[in-house]
Amino acid sequence: MQQFVNFTLGGLSQGAIYAAFALALVLIWRATRIINFAQGAMAMFTTYLALTLIESGLSYWAGFAAALAGGLVLGALVERVVMRPVEGGPELNAVIVTLGLFVAFQALAAILFGATFQSFPAPFGLRGFTVGEMTIAFTPFSVFVIASVVVVMLALTALFRFTDLGLRMRASAFSQEVSRLLGVRVGRMLTLGWALAAVVGSLAGLLIAGGNLVHPAYMDAVIVYGFVAAVLGGLESPGGAVAGGLIIGLALSYVSGYLGSELVTLAALAILVAVLLVRPRGLFSRVAARRV
Amino acid sequence: MRRPGQRGLAVGALATIVTLLITSCGAGGRPEEDQGGGSASDVGVTAESVKVGAHFPLTGVAAPGYSEIPTGAKAYFDFVNAAGGVNGRRIDYVYRDDAYNPTNTSQVVNELVLQDEIFAMVGGLGTPTHSAVLDFLNSSEVPDLFVSSGSLLWDQPETNPQTFGWQPDYEVEGKIIGQYVQQNFPDAKVGLFLQDDDFGEDGEKGARAYIDDQIVAAERYAPGNTDVGPQVAALQAAGADLVIGFNVPSYTALSQLTAMRLNYDPQWIYSNVGSDPALVGSLLSRFSEGQVTDAALLQGVMTTEYLPGVDAPDNAWTKLWQRVWDAHGGQGQLSNYRIYGMAQAYTFVQALQAAGPDPTREGIVTALEEMGGELRGPAFVPYRYSADSHAGLSGVKVVRIAGTGGTEDLSPVLVTGNGDTEITEHTEEHAAPPENGIPNVQPQN
Repeated sequence: MQQFVNFTLGGLSQGAIYAAFALALVLIWRATRIINFAQGAMAMFTTYLALTLIESGLSYWAGFAAALAGGLVLGALVERVVMRPVEGGPELNAVIVTLGLFVAFQALAAILFGATFQSFPAPFGLRGFTVGEMTIAFTPFSVFVIASVVVVMLALTALFRFTDLGLRMRASAFSQEVSRLLGVRVGRMLTLGWALAAVVGSLAGLLIAGGNLVHPAYMDAVIVYGFVAAVLGGLESPGGAVAGGLIIGLALSYVSGYLGSELVTLAALAILVAVLLVRPRGLFSRVAARRV
Repeated sequence: MRRPGQRGLAVGALATIVTLLITSCGAGGRPEEDQGGGSASDVGVTAESVKVGAHFPLTGVAAPGYSEIPTGAKAYFDFVNAAGGVNGRRIDYVYRDDAYNPTNTSQVVNELVLQDEIFAMVGGLGTPTHSAVLDFLNSSEVPDLFVSSGSLLWDQPETNPQTFGWQPDYEVEGKIIGQYVQQNFPDAKVGLFLQDDDFGEDGEKGARAYIDDQIVAAERYAPGNTDVGPQVAALQAAGADLVIGFNVPSYTALSQLTAMRLNYDPQWIYSNVGSDPALVGSLLSRFSEGQVTDAALLQGVMTTEYLPGVDAPDNAWTKLWQRVWDAHGGQGQLSNYRIYGMAQAYTFVQALQAAGPDPTREGIVTALEEMGGELRGPAFVPYRYSADSHAGLSGVKVVRIAGTGGTEDLSPVLVTGNGDTEITEHTEEHAAPPENGIPNVQPQN
C-alpha cells in the first residue's frame, strides 16, 4: 500500500513538471502556431543563469526571478532575431529552425557553464511529509511545484479566455493578414507570445532542477514527456496540458515501479500512439472547427 | 563540428606527404633510428616516443569524476617523461571524448588506431563503451591494456588475446561485500540497487553467491533515466534495511536524495565505482541550503577500496601522487579519480619496461602474461595476469566512510577470483613506491 501511495505521489510531482513544460508548448502553439523544440534548451539556459547567480551568493529567489526575467528577454530576442525571418513561410521551416536552436543552446551552455553534473538548490525542504507512521514521497518542494503549475494554468486560461490581449494573440497566430487588417500589431503579438512561453518554460526548468542535478542535456527527457503531455491534452487547452502531464507522470511512475525502469520511454511512446489512434486531436479537444 | 574534421583531414594529408618525402629521401641512407638506444620497433613506437591512447567520457552523464582519470594519467606520464621516459622514449598520451556513448567510442577509437597510430590503448573507460571496440582492437592486434571497468568481459584471453582488465572485477567485489554482509549482518534484509547492464549483473552474481537468501529485492535503474523514485520506493516497500548499490557516482547522489525524500534510512553499501565521497558530496552539497552537508550525507556508508586514496595523505603512494600532481597536474586538486589514472599509468610503465628496450605489440602482451602476476604497485593486491587469465586486481577491503571524508577499515584486504574461488586474506605487506617514483621492472630476457 505504501508503495502504491509513493508511486502515485512521485508520479504526481513528476507529472506536474511535465505539465509545466506542456503549458509552455501550448502557450507558444496558441500564440504562434508552431511547436518550439528549443523550449527545453532555452529553459535549461535560464536555469543555468539562475544557478550562476545563486553560486555567486545571491538568494534562491533572486536567481529564480532572474531566470524568469531572462526567459522573457531570451524569448523575445529569439523571436525578433532568429524566428522573424522564417515566420509566415512554410511552418516546417520554423520548426526546423527551433531544432537548430535546440542544438545551439545546448552547445553554448556546455561551453559557458561546463558539461558536468551540478546540483541545483531547492527553496523548500526535500524530506517527505510524515503521515502517522508513514513517510510519503511528497515534499514541501512538491507542493510548491504543483501550486506553481496550477497558478500558471489558471493565468493562461484567463489570459486566452477573458482578456483582449489573449484574443489578439490567438487572432494573430491564426490568421496574420486578417488580424493585421483589423488593426492588431501582429509582430508584437508574436514577440509577446514567444516571450511569455519562454517565461513559463523557464519556470518549468527551475521546477525540474530544484533539488536535482542539472547538466546541459537535463531537459531532454522532459522535452519528450512534456511534448507527449501537450499532445495528450490536445495542444490547445492549458487544462488539457496539465491533465496530460499528470497522466503521463502517473503512468510512467507505475511503469517504472511495477514493470521496470527500462520500459519508461517505450511506455511513453505507446501512450502517445494509443491516444493519437483513438483521439487524433488529443483527449481534451472539443471542437474541430476553430472560432477566433 | 565540421571544421576540426576538415582540419584533421588536412593535417592527415600533410602528414602523409611529409612521411612520403622523408621515406623517399631516406631510402638510400641508413635508418637513423639505429643509433642510440631504441628504435621504431612497432606501430606507434619511435626512437624517442611511444604513443598510447584512450577514450573517456569528458562530457555527459558519466563525466563527473571519470573525466578526471585521464588528467591523472597524463600527469604521471609527464612525470615519467620529465625523468627521461622509458628506455629513452617519451610517452605520448592521447585521449578523446566519447561522452559514454558507444557510437562515439567506435569513432574515436578508429581515429586513435588508424589516424594517430597508437601503440596501445591504455585505460579506455566503460563497459558499454569499450565493448563496442573490443572486436576492432583485437582484430587490429592493438594491445588493449587496463580497461577502466570491472566487467568480466576483459578476461577472455582465448577470444580477446589483446585485452586486459585492471581494477578488481565487479564479481570479485560483489563476493567480498556479500561475505562481509553474511558475517556481520546475518539478519539484514538486503536490497540491491543495480545499474541495468553488466555492471549490476556481475555485482549481483558476486553478492548472491553469499547472501542469496537474505536478498529481498533487486531493483534496476536504466542509465540516463534520472528519476529513481520508483526503484527506491520499491526497496523501501520490500523492507530492505541494507542496500548494496552497484551504480555510478551520479546515481549514488540520486539514490541518497530520493531516500531522503522518502525518509528511508537503510545501511548503504556502494561499490567502489560509485562511492567517491568527495564527488558525491559535491553533487549533494547544494541541496536544501545547508540542511544537508556533504560529509553528513555519506557518513556511515560502506564501500570498498583497493588503492590508497586522498583520505590517506600519509601513505607513501598518496605522497607520490601528490608530488606528481603538484609538479605536472593541471587545474584542480588531487582526487581519487586522478589517483586511479596515475595508478593505471604506473602499471603501463611497468608493462612497457617488462616488454624490453624494443617494445612490440606482441611483446608487451607476452610480458604481461609472463610477469604480470608478480608486478607490485599502488594497489593493495596483486594482479591475476597469466597466459590463461587477463583479469586485473584480485581483491578489495571493506571500509566505512567517516564524517570528514576519510575512511576506516572494516575488513582486512581480501583476495579471491571468479566463480567458486574462496575468499582469503591477503597478508603480504603493501610495499612503498620506489624512491624516484618510477618503477624499475627488468625484462625477462
